[in-house]
Amino acid sequence: METTGVSKYTISFGLSLTLASVVNGLLVVAKEKVPAVLTGMQKLTGHHWVTHDVIILGLFAFCGWLFAQANGGQGIKMNVNRLIGTLVTGVGTGGIIVLGFYLIGD
Amino acid sequence: MAHVLFGVACLITTVWVFVDVLNVSKTNQNRIKKMSCAAAIFMWLAFFIGGYWYVTSYSADKAIILKGPWPFAHNFVMETKEHLVILLLMLVTYLPIAAANNLSANKDARRVVLWVAGMIVLLALMIEGDGATIAMGVKVGLLAR
Repeated sequence: METTGVSKYTISFGLSLTLASVVNGLLVVAKEKVPAVLTGMQKLTGHHWVTHDVIILGLFAFCGWLFAQANGGQGIKMNVNRLIGTLVTGVGTGGIIVLGFYLIGD
Repeated sequence: MAHVLFGVACLITTVWVFVDVLNVSKTNQNRIKKMSCAAAIFMWLAFFIGGYWYVTSYSADKAIILKGPWPFAHNFVMETKEHLVILLLMLVTYLPIAAANNLSANKDARRVVLWVAGMIVLLALMIEGDGATIAMGVKVGLLAR
Protein backbone atom coordinates (compact mmCIF):
# COMPACT_ATOMS: atom_id res chain seq x y z
CA MET A 1 0.00 0.00 0.00
CA GLU A 2 1.36 3.43 -0.95
CA THR A 3 2.13 5.93 1.81
CA THR A 4 2.48 9.70 1.54
CA GLY A 5 4.64 12.38 3.09
CA VAL A 6 8.39 12.45 3.53
CA SER A 7 10.76 12.45 6.51
CA LYS A 8 11.30 15.59 8.58
CA TYR A 9 14.90 15.74 7.33
CA THR A 10 13.76 15.62 3.70
CA ILE A 11 11.71 18.74 4.36
CA SER A 12 14.16 20.51 6.66
CA PHE A 13 17.21 20.02 4.44
CA GLY A 14 15.16 20.78 1.36
CA LEU A 15 14.15 24.14 2.81
CA SER A 16 17.68 24.72 4.02
CA LEU A 17 19.00 24.04 0.52
CA THR A 18 16.54 26.58 -0.87
CA LEU A 19 17.62 29.22 1.61
CA ALA A 20 21.33 28.55 1.14
CA SER A 21 20.96 28.71 -2.65
CA VAL A 22 19.48 32.20 -2.52
CA VAL A 23 21.96 33.38 0.12
CA ASN A 24 24.76 32.03 -2.08
CA GLY A 25 23.67 34.27 -4.92
CA LEU A 26 23.30 37.30 -2.67
CA LEU A 27 26.71 36.69 -1.10
CA VAL A 28 28.27 36.65 -4.56
CA VAL A 29 26.78 40.07 -5.28
CA ALA A 30 27.83 41.41 -1.87
CA LYS A 31 31.45 40.33 -2.10
CA GLU A 32 31.85 41.51 -5.69
CA LYS A 33 30.22 44.89 -5.08
CA VAL A 34 31.51 45.70 -1.58
CA PRO A 35 35.34 45.52 -1.36
CA ALA A 36 35.24 45.32 2.45
CA VAL A 37 33.22 42.10 2.25
CA LEU A 38 35.68 40.52 -0.18
CA THR A 39 38.65 41.61 1.94
CA GLY A 40 37.03 40.26 5.08
CA MET A 41 36.27 36.93 3.44
CA GLN A 42 39.82 36.77 2.11
CA LYS A 43 41.23 37.33 5.60
CA LEU A 44 39.05 34.74 7.31
CA THR A 45 40.48 31.66 5.55
CA GLY A 46 43.08 33.04 3.19
CA HIS A 47 40.85 32.76 0.10
CA HIS A 48 37.45 34.38 -0.45
CA TRP A 49 36.07 31.30 -2.22
CA VAL A 50 36.93 29.01 0.69
CA THR A 51 35.21 31.39 3.11
CA HIS A 52 32.22 31.55 0.77
CA ASP A 53 31.93 27.75 0.73
CA VAL A 54 32.26 27.47 4.51
CA ILE A 55 29.52 30.05 5.04
CA ILE A 56 27.04 28.54 2.58
CA LEU A 57 27.66 24.88 3.41
CA GLY A 58 27.60 25.73 7.11
CA LEU A 59 24.28 27.53 6.63
CA PHE A 60 22.90 24.52 4.76
CA ALA A 61 23.93 22.08 7.49
CA PHE A 62 22.85 24.27 10.40
CA CYS A 63 19.46 25.28 8.98
CA GLY A 64 18.77 21.69 7.94
CA TRP A 65 19.27 20.62 11.53
CA LEU A 66 17.43 23.66 12.94
CA PHE A 67 14.31 23.29 10.79
CA ALA A 68 14.08 19.65 11.86
CA GLN A 69 13.75 20.79 15.50
CA ALA A 70 10.53 22.73 14.80
CA ASN A 71 7.19 21.56 16.22
CA GLY A 72 8.82 19.91 19.22
CA GLY A 73 11.23 17.90 17.12
CA GLN A 74 8.68 16.74 14.55
CA GLY A 75 10.03 19.17 11.98
CA ILE A 76 8.26 21.56 9.64
CA LYS A 77 5.10 20.14 8.08
CA MET A 78 4.88 20.73 4.38
CA ASN A 79 3.03 19.34 1.41
CA VAL A 80 5.40 17.61 -1.03
CA ASN A 81 4.21 19.63 -4.02
CA ARG A 82 5.08 22.77 -2.12
CA LEU A 83 8.48 21.34 -1.09
CA ILE A 84 9.37 20.49 -4.67
CA GLY A 85 8.15 23.88 -5.89
CA THR A 86 10.16 25.67 -3.21
CA LEU A 87 13.28 23.63 -3.98
CA VAL A 88 13.15 24.23 -7.71
CA THR A 89 12.36 27.92 -7.28
CA GLY A 90 15.11 28.40 -4.70
CA VAL A 91 17.83 26.65 -6.68
CA GLY A 92 16.66 28.37 -9.84
CA THR A 93 16.65 31.77 -8.18
CA GLY A 94 20.09 31.25 -6.71
CA GLY A 95 21.40 30.19 -10.09
CA ILE A 96 19.82 33.12 -11.91
CA ILE A 97 21.27 35.60 -9.42
CA VAL A 98 24.79 34.25 -10.03
CA LEU A 99 24.42 33.97 -13.80
CA GLY A 100 22.63 37.29 -14.10
CA PHE A 101 25.17 39.13 -12.02
CA TYR A 102 28.19 37.95 -13.99
CA LEU A 103 26.38 38.40 -17.29
CA ILE A 104 24.99 41.84 -16.64
CA GLY A 105 25.84 43.25 -13.28
CA ASP A 106 29.59 42.75 -13.00
CA MET B 1 41.78 14.82 -14.48
CA ALA B 2 40.66 13.30 -11.17
CA HIS B 3 38.43 16.31 -10.65
CA VAL B 4 36.69 15.74 -13.98
CA LEU B 5 36.56 11.97 -13.47
CA PHE B 6 34.75 12.24 -10.15
CA GLY B 7 32.42 14.88 -11.57
CA VAL B 8 31.43 12.57 -14.39
CA ALA B 9 31.11 9.67 -11.94
CA CYS B 10 28.67 11.78 -9.91
CA LEU B 11 26.68 12.59 -13.05
CA ILE B 12 26.48 8.95 -14.19
CA THR B 13 25.58 7.74 -10.71
CA THR B 14 22.79 10.30 -10.44
CA VAL B 15 21.33 9.22 -13.79
CA TRP B 16 21.46 5.67 -12.45
CA VAL B 17 19.51 6.78 -9.38
CA PHE B 18 16.94 8.56 -11.56
CA VAL B 19 16.30 5.50 -13.71
CA ASP B 20 16.26 3.16 -10.71
CA VAL B 21 13.67 5.34 -8.94
CA LEU B 22 11.45 5.24 -12.04
CA ASN B 23 11.54 1.46 -11.67
CA VAL B 24 11.66 1.26 -7.88
CA SER B 25 10.65 -1.85 -5.96
CA LYS B 26 11.71 -3.45 -2.71
CA THR B 27 14.52 -5.23 -4.55
CA ASN B 28 16.35 -2.13 -5.80
CA GLN B 29 15.62 0.25 -2.95
CA ASN B 30 18.85 -0.45 -1.11
CA ARG B 31 20.82 0.01 -4.31
CA ILE B 32 19.20 3.42 -4.81
CA LYS B 33 20.29 4.49 -1.33
CA LYS B 34 23.85 3.26 -1.92
CA MET B 35 24.11 4.91 -5.32
CA SER B 36 22.78 8.18 -3.88
CA CYS B 37 25.53 8.07 -1.27
CA ALA B 38 28.07 7.22 -3.97
CA ALA B 39 26.96 10.23 -6.01
CA ALA B 40 27.47 12.46 -2.99
CA ILE B 41 30.92 10.98 -2.25
CA PHE B 42 32.00 11.43 -5.88
CA MET B 43 30.83 15.05 -5.85
CA TRP B 44 32.64 15.88 -2.61
CA LEU B 45 35.83 14.31 -4.01
CA ALA B 46 35.49 16.34 -7.21
CA PHE B 47 34.86 19.44 -5.11
CA PHE B 48 37.90 19.03 -2.86
CA ILE B 49 40.25 18.11 -5.71
CA GLY B 50 39.00 20.96 -7.90
CA GLY B 51 38.97 23.36 -4.98
CA TYR B 52 42.55 22.54 -4.06
CA TRP B 53 43.64 23.08 -7.68
CA TYR B 54 41.65 26.32 -7.87
CA VAL B 55 43.13 27.80 -4.69
CA THR B 56 46.74 26.74 -5.29
CA SER B 57 47.23 26.76 -9.06
CA TYR B 58 44.43 28.47 -10.99
CA SER B 59 45.96 31.96 -10.85
CA ALA B 60 48.47 31.00 -13.57
CA ASP B 61 45.67 29.72 -15.83
CA LYS B 62 43.64 32.83 -15.06
CA ALA B 63 46.47 35.11 -16.21
CA ILE B 64 46.73 33.22 -19.53
CA ILE B 65 42.95 33.30 -20.10
CA LEU B 66 42.64 37.02 -19.38
CA LYS B 67 45.46 37.93 -21.79
CA GLY B 68 44.11 35.62 -24.49
CA PRO B 69 41.21 35.88 -26.98
CA TRP B 70 38.69 34.29 -24.57
CA PRO B 71 38.70 36.41 -21.38
CA PHE B 72 35.04 35.45 -20.88
CA ALA B 73 36.30 31.94 -20.04
CA HIS B 74 37.33 33.40 -16.69
CA ASN B 75 35.22 36.55 -16.31
CA PHE B 76 31.93 34.76 -16.87
CA VAL B 77 32.42 30.99 -17.11
CA MET B 78 34.83 30.39 -14.21
CA GLU B 79 33.21 32.97 -11.97
CA THR B 80 29.78 31.35 -12.43
CA LYS B 81 31.17 27.81 -12.19
CA GLU B 82 32.91 28.40 -8.86
CA HIS B 83 29.67 29.70 -7.34
CA LEU B 84 27.13 27.40 -9.01
CA VAL B 85 29.09 24.31 -7.99
CA ILE B 86 28.07 25.04 -4.39
CA LEU B 87 24.42 24.57 -5.41
CA LEU B 88 25.35 21.28 -7.07
CA LEU B 89 27.24 20.15 -3.98
CA MET B 90 24.26 20.85 -1.73
CA LEU B 91 21.85 19.12 -4.11
CA VAL B 92 24.00 16.00 -4.27
CA THR B 93 24.44 16.02 -0.49
CA TYR B 94 20.65 16.24 -0.16
CA LEU B 95 20.05 13.34 -2.57
CA PRO B 96 20.78 10.52 -0.08
CA ILE B 97 18.66 12.33 2.53
CA ALA B 98 15.70 12.31 0.16
CA ALA B 99 16.48 8.75 -0.97
CA ALA B 100 16.40 7.49 2.63
CA ASN B 101 12.59 7.53 2.53
CA ASN B 102 10.67 4.35 1.69
CA LEU B 103 10.68 4.98 -2.06
CA SER B 104 8.98 1.75 -3.09
CA ALA B 105 5.92 2.58 -1.00
CA ASN B 106 5.92 6.38 -1.14
CA LYS B 107 5.10 8.25 -4.33
CA ASP B 108 5.80 11.64 -2.72
CA ALA B 109 9.33 10.59 -1.79
CA ARG B 110 9.94 9.26 -5.30
CA ARG B 111 8.90 12.60 -6.80
CA VAL B 112 11.31 14.50 -4.56
CA VAL B 113 14.22 12.24 -5.51
CA LEU B 114 13.39 12.46 -9.22
CA TRP B 115 13.25 16.25 -9.16
CA VAL B 116 16.48 16.54 -7.16
CA ALA B 117 18.27 14.03 -9.39
CA GLY B 118 17.00 15.85 -12.45
CA MET B 119 18.34 19.18 -11.19
CA ILE B 120 21.67 17.54 -10.37
CA VAL B 121 22.03 16.11 -13.86
CA LEU B 122 21.23 19.41 -15.59
CA LEU B 123 23.52 21.42 -13.33
CA ALA B 124 26.32 18.84 -13.57
CA LEU B 125 26.17 18.89 -17.38
CA MET B 126 26.42 22.66 -17.32
CA ILE B 127 29.35 22.58 -14.89
CA GLU B 128 31.18 20.00 -17.03
CA GLY B 129 30.71 22.24 -20.06
CA ASP B 130 32.00 25.20 -18.08
CA GLY B 131 35.13 23.28 -17.15
CA ALA B 132 35.76 22.36 -20.77
CA THR B 133 35.33 25.99 -21.83
CA ILE B 134 37.78 27.19 -19.18
CA ALA B 135 40.36 24.61 -20.26
CA MET B 136 39.88 25.72 -23.85
CA GLY B 137 40.32 29.31 -22.72
CA VAL B 138 43.78 28.42 -21.45
CA LYS B 139 44.58 26.60 -24.67
CA VAL B 140 43.56 29.43 -27.00
CA GLY B 141 45.40 31.85 -24.73
CA LEU B 142 48.60 29.85 -25.10
CA LEU B 143 48.11 29.45 -28.86
CA ALA B 144 47.72 33.18 -29.23
CA ARG B 145 51.14 33.85 -27.74
